[in-house]
Amino acid sequence: MAATAERALGKATSRSGEHLLGIAALVALGVSAVLSLVVAPPDAVQGEVQRIMYVHVPAAWLAYLCFFVVFIASIAYLKTKKTRWDRVAAASAEIGVLFTSLAIVLGMLWGKPVWGTWWTWDPRLTTTAVLLMIYVAYLAIRRITDNPSRRARWAAVIGIVGFIDVPIVHLSVVWWRSLHQGPTVFRLGAPEIEGTMLLALLAGVVAFTITYAYLMTLRLRVGRLEERAAREALSPLVGAER
Amino acid sequence: MAPNAGYVIAGYLVTAVALGGYTLRLFARARDAKRRAQTIADRRRVG
Repeated sequence: MAATAERALGKATSRSGEHLLGIAALVALGVSAVLSLVVAPPDAVQGEVQRIMYVHVPAAWLAYLCFFVVFIASIAYLKTKKTRWDRVAAASAEIGVLFTSLAIVLGMLWGKPVWGTWWTWDPRLTTTAVLLMIYVAYLAIRRITDNPSRRARWAAVIGIVGFIDVPIVHLSVVWWRSLHQGPTVFRLGAPEIEGTMLLALLAGVVAFTITYAYLMTLRLRVGRLEERAAREALSPLVGAER
Repeated sequence: MAPNAGYVIAGYLVTAVALGGYTLRLFARARDAKRRAQTIADRRRVG
């Protein structure tokens, strides 16, 4: 009885935490939208279209963060064989694919008026497209086998090896000649960006990070529920005893 | 309207639709999984 009450209380607390995180994400996204669309000045060269940067760059950075979490969770899974690490990796990979796709689409919307083309085989674009394909393959591999431990092992290997592309994407503008500009914020010396623009950009990164935390809690809950449904379907004996 | 403002509007709309759409999809998946598990458990109880 006490255990049931404790479980119910824990569930209620975690759900209310999830709601609070959702509200925080919504508020942060609203503040970020005001800063980037109203407060930040238009760019001296590109004009209004440069405002896409305030969503494009955070989406790209969050994709890096998501895949870093996949990398760490994959190592942790291979080391401990605990299902919870596999669940974290799967959730973060799915959200990472969302952010990578978003970064690509937003880049295309920015590239058309500035570069005159939706797409070009620039090193940054090409390596980002490869990154997207790696993690789409990661999600596809997870659907190939029904054996949970085999699925988790295969996925963990891709989650670790696939992460190699993240530093390549980031450094591609330094290593090769690219249409993309070089590092503006993370560089030696002061950032090469006006103060209000930097504030709007950082607000975007914070808002997207809170949104990622919220999506992770939701996606982890979905993962747990889907596993429970699969367990119910696959083990009639256990179900009959309940 | 400023030149190229359409691209900015499209960019922010795409962002809102992607994040909002994915969140709603997760809610739907959670509801479906809960319902599936419940249906199987109920059938067993009846059987």
